[in-house]
Amino acid sequence: MSSGRSNDRLEEIADAERIDDLEGVDDFDDLQDAVDDAVPEIDDGRYLYCIVRADEGATLETTGVDGEPVSIVVADGIGAVVHDTDGIYDSADLAQVRRWLVRHQTVVDEAAQEFGTPVPFQFDTILRGGDEAVREWLREESDTLDRALSGLAGHWEYRVEVVEIDPVDDEALIERDDRLQELADRIDDSGSGTSFLLEKKLEQRLTELRAARRESITADLRDRLADAAREVHSLERSPTASLSDDIADEADGRDGETLCRLTLLAHEDEESAIGSILDDVADHDGFEVRFTGPWPPYTFAPELGGDESTDTQPHA
Amino acid sequence: MTQIDVGDGEDARQGLVTLVVTVVEILMDALEREAVRRMESGDLADEEIERLGEQLATIEAELEQLKEDEGIEDGVDDLRGDLNGLVNDAIEQLHGEPRATSEPGYSVLGGEDE
Repeated sequence: MSSGRSNDRLEEIADAERIDDLEGVDDFDDLQDAVDDAVPEIDDGRYLYCIVRADEGATLETTGVDGEPVSIVVADGIGAVVHDTDGIYDSADLAQVRRWLVRHQTVVDEAAQEFGTPVPFQFDTILRGGDEAVREWLREESDTLDRALSGLAGHWEYRVEVVEIDPVDDEALIERDDRLQELADRIDDSGSGTSFLLEKKLEQRLTELRAARRESITADLRDRLADAAREVHSLERSPTASLSDDIADEADGRDGETLCRLTLLAHEDEESAIGSILDDVADHDGFEVRFTGPWPPYTFAPELGGDESTDTQPHA
Repeated sequence: MTQIDVGDGEDARQGLVTLVVTVVEILMDALEREAVRRMESGDLADEEIERLGEQLATIEAELEQLKEDEGIEDGVDDLRGDLNGLVNDAIEQLHGEPRATSEPGYSVLGGEDE
């Protein structure tokens, strides 16, 4: 098992937050127009990091995105970790965006250490109207938030990636499979035109066989993890977002074939149980398992304000 | 992927050739799959299968040669990768999976703009 912590972490942040993948902005056509010129105007905005259980007067000693001081706005035992802002965080400079993202993640991590499992927000979620608007929103959504915090308490998100370092080569697959073996023999015995078509067929079969093999390994692992985790989801085999070309290149240059990427929600007490399930997989010849976490439950946080026609649609 | 940029001037020629070759390659894949299917169906005589295979092999070889001559092997691969992404996106949208890649990467909520 390898960790590659720092790079994985960046990738995870980008991936988990799907930074360019925000829904729920449909109600902001006017906002969209404004984007063409520059950025939306924000008066007395509050940048939201996460929701935690906190009592009145709670504080968090840390520095937020872009060096802003972080505070906690509390209403009825539920706190929003925020900082004051007049604008959105947008930059063409990837290194800058990366620093912001890491900072966002760090604040959420620190809040998690202090107050337990948070309900995290995506990067760059801003609420207008100052502390009072935040309090009002906390009260409005207090039922949902309370349920989410109780439900997620003690639970964390973990990411698992299984990579086959030395993928089985075509010859080995053909040898093991009678139908492919027969096909390969026919190719040798046929005229050039026919063997061209038979080769195409062989390629199709090989692709199918590899996909079936991946699926069975993934399904087996999912089943085993499901016993220890509360939820298990499959992710796309290659991450959709990467923060810089170096990371993307590094990912491309990695040896081996990614068999599956899973994300799971599990109680912290189950962490070692999950670890030992993954150790079993890693013992398999040629398999490498990348296990990261605990992360704030980005994937498993509820969508707040989802379909309601209210104007507040924060995304957790 | 939201646009295909073929460039301008001398670049435009190469960009256009890349685009055309990519489209023809995708078409060839479909033709080859269909040819394999027909071969399997048993409706074709052996000579017909041989001839069909020869024709497809010739076209594929010509395409490879063309890519090499034009130095667009990488360009075609990249474009195919992008197009695959496009197809995946379209499929995900069909399945109603939420994707809004053209939306800005921030949310601003509340306030007087509503």
